[in-house]
This record gives sequence, structure tokens and C-alpha cells, in this order.
Amino acid sequence: MKAEFFEPGISADTKGFWEGCKEHKLLIQKCDCCGRLRWPAAYICPECLSEKFSYKEMAQEATLYSYITVRKPFHPSVEEKLPYYVIDVELEGGIRMISNLVGAEGKFPKCGDRLRLKWEDYGAYSKPVYELED
Amino acid sequence: MALSELRNKIAIVGVGYTEQGKVPGRTAVSFHCEAIRNAVRDAGIDKNDIGALLLYRHFDAIGGDYDVTAFTVAEQLGIRPQVLSQETYCTRSWLYHVAGMLASGLCRYVVLSYGDNGRSARRSFVKELNKGAATDELAAYGDLSTMAKYAMLARRAQETYGTGPDIWKEIAIAQRRWANINPKAAMYRKVLDDETYYNTAYVTEPFRLLDATPNSDGGRALIFTTAELAKGLEQPPVLIRGFGSSNQPLSPYRLDALDSESAAAQAGRQAFDMAGVSKDDIDACELYDCFTYTVEATLRDYGFFRPEEVKEFLSRERLGPGGEFPVNTSGGMLSEAYFMGLTPVSEGVMQLRGQCGERQLGSYPGTKTPELIMCGDNGAVLQSHVSLILERMD
Repeated sequence: MKAEFFEPGISADTKGFWEGCKEHKLLIQKCDCCGRLRWPAAYICPECLSEKFSYKEMAQEATLYSYITVRKPFHPSVEEKLPYYVIDVELEGGIRMISNLVGAEGKFPKCGDRLRLKWEDYGAYSKPVYELED
Repeated sequence: MALSELRNKIAIVGVGYTEQGKVPGRTAVSFHCEAIRNAVRDAGIDKNDIGALLLYRHFDAIGGDYDVTAFTVAEQLGIRPQVLSQETYCTRSWLYHVAGMLASGLCRYVVLSYGDNGRSARRSFVKELNKGAATDELAAYGDLSTMAKYAMLARRAQETYGTGPDIWKEIAIAQRRWANINPKAAMYRKVLDDETYYNTAYVTEPFRLLDATPNSDGGRALIFTTAELAKGLEQPPVLIRGFGSSNQPLSPYRLDALDSESAAAQAGRQAFDMAGVSKDDIDACELYDCFTYTVEATLRDYGFFRPEEVKEFLSRERLGPGGEFPVNTSGGMLSEAYFMGLTPVSEGVMQLRGQCGERQLGSYPGTKTPELIMCGDNGAVLQSHVSLILERMD
């Protein structure tokens, strides 16, 4: 089963990320001035305060920083998805991002596990999720 | 100005309690007003001398209630303070406001108040439940609750240095034992044992329901003034010997589970430096405990134990009644009541005044009369922290 929850709330700042997702590209802002990567998306760089940036397409591989297993519904709409994993993923360059771990039934994830990017497509948006690397 | 110049210059002179626990049929504003009225009487001040009224976090009105603002509370108390303020988000900045207004002489008395009908009206901390749609992009991943964000860091800590449910159970049971002897506590006389803890289902694994604070109806208020003005009032004044405040504006998933510059670490260090004392001088701690792990993270980041000492340090025997290092002696938010930072800070004041009945440190068997109590108030997801080292005025 796909891990569909809410349609993401998309702002003027986060639009570029979600447009990249539609093309199955994980686009992360990279500051043109100091080179720092940032997620969540923001208008200016929290390091050097420049507003100039480019999108960098991130690699498929990532590392599991941490994870939780949601076992009780916090909202009626997620009840039939239980249990599900929300994960804190470390991408190249050390930046971290929230996602879901999928296809992990019967497996026991651990912090530090290697992950591989996968895409889930819905009508209005596509979402990056991760699987454990074998 | 060096912070040490403010050492013991600010006092807490009034504590206001209300009915608490499950109190149906009451508005949030009524709890604010009752708590403040009781704090004014406790301190023995004239309500017209209140120069500033600071309200804790602004919550959405629920259960048919009206919106609560500092203006409404002032109106209903018939006061006209020069300063009306309310924290909108779950960050902690009240302490610097209090200290600045009193140290500058701009205000004589500052009131800090919390009130909510969150238990009877069933407050949810999931924004999507209130709005019916995503409020940010994380909702796309089913990352909805505050608990999920704390649990994420707790899991990382678990796999980094071996903490986990066996430790968090000790915190829950120690605090429950304190609540068992506090007649105002929600869990008064309600015993918690290992089996009950382990049999409670996971909500957001690794957290069980008993790792999280339940909601309460009720309110709590504190009155602050200068050490000079404190002398002639009703209660034995409690002085703020040291304080610290720190915000770490990073999204929760960007925090490190172990960080020597966490908000609690910075605030705690500042409080120790200002007070001119070390952790070994602290007799008890009263800490914000939205989750069991929050207590662990705070004590660890204050420097009371090293990560590898977690199993040995965090035991029910040490933290609970009769233990050598009492923590959250009212039962805390987990087992007494959820009034955010006012639950721990008011308990620190009452312990130093010696007004805690059966759970009073110094009279409960095996405990010593406290000279210094360290209090912590935490906000957001371990991102905002206020720390106070309190002592009684001689």
C-alpha cells in the first residue's frame, strides 16, 4: 500500500521542491554564494543570507538518521495506513529531510541503515519515499 | 551588564493554583483569572500594582470557548497593566521579559499565567485535526504530531547510547510516586507499576501513551518582583539566583539527539554561571516533562549525567520520593497536571517555601531540606529552553 496521507501544503518557497518531485527529481536548494544546501526550502540562505540559489539534484542513496513507527492514528484519515514509518533521512552533504520508509514489512530498520530513493505518484503531486537497501 | 549582577535580584512572591484535573464546564479565561486572583492573594499585593501581564501560549479556543488574550484577562480582573503580552508559539521568552521589566524598574510586579480547558474540551495538538487539511509539507508523510518529533530524537538517542523504554519507565514511575502523595495531582494514589507501563500500547514507537503528558483543565499563575519589594510580602520570597534562556531555531528533524549546544545545554550553562554554582550544589530539579524522554534530555544536557551513565542515573529510587536526587516532586506534567512551564516552576517555589505537605523535601523520610532547586521550561521540540536556579531568601 502506498503511504498516502495529506496533499502537502505548498508555499511559494517550497514550490520548486514539489515541482521537481513531479519529474522524479529530488531538488534541494544550494546557495550560489556559499554553497550551503538547505531543506526546508527558504528564500534566503541561513548561513550567508544570500537569496541567490540553484537547485541541486540529490543522489538516490541516503542514510537513515532516525525513524518512528506510528501505531495510533493522530487523524482519522491515517487510520487505515497504520502502522507506518516516518523517517529523518540524511542526504548527501549532511542535510536532513523528513520522508517515509516503505516496503519494510517484516524488516527491522536501524539508525545508520542505507536507503534508496523511490517515488510515489498521486494525482496532484509525487512524493519521495525510501526503501531499505539490501 | 554582566548577568551575575542580576543574581538574586528577582523574586517569585506569589503562586496561584486553581481547581485542576478534570473540571468540566469552565472556560480557559476563567482559569487564568482564578489563578491570578489566587496568586495576588498569596503574595499579598494590590492588583492595581501589576505592571505587566504575560500569558503563556495562545491556544485556539475549543469547546464553545471564546478566544483568550491578555486583554480579556486584564478586563475580567479589572486591572490596567502597562504591558499586556502573550506567547503565540511554543517558544519560551517570558523570563527575559520578566527580568528586563523588573531590573529596569519599569514594572513593580509581573504576572505570568496559564489557563486551559484542554482536558474537558479535548484539545488536540495535531493541527490538521483543527484545520481539516495540511498546514505544511510534512503532512504529506503523515508526520502530524508533536509526539512524533520528540519520538524521532528519542529513537536516535536510544540507538546512540542505549536509552529506551526501560529508562523512560523509571522516569514515569518515579514521578508517579511523587504524584501518589500530592492530593492535587491527577494521579494521586493511582499507582503505576512496571507491568502497567509495558502493557500500554505504543502510540508513536518508541513512545507509549504513558510516556506522554495528558491534558488538564485548570490554571497556574506566578508573580515576580524585585528582591527589594519582595521583603514585605506575605510569603517567604524565593529568589532567582541564576537563569538562562536559549532558542535553537532549527526544524526538529535538523536537531542532533546529542548536542552540547542544545537549547537546554546553553540555558543550563548560563544559569549555572550566573548563579555561581555547579550541578553538585543542586538539591532537586523541577523540569518540563511533556514526555518522559524530555526529562532525560534536560538532565543530560544540564550535565547531571553522561549518556553512558543513563541506566545507572535515571532510576525510580534516585528520582522518586526518598531518593537522593528528587525530580518533579509534584508528579510533574506527566502525573500532576499540564500547565506547561508553570507546573515545574511553581513546584520549585513551593518546595523552597516549605509548603508541600507530605511530599515536602526535608520532611519526607530520606530527603534533605533543599537550598537550591533547578527548574526548566522547554518549548517546541527541545528547541527552546528557560532554566532557573531558585533559592529561598534568608
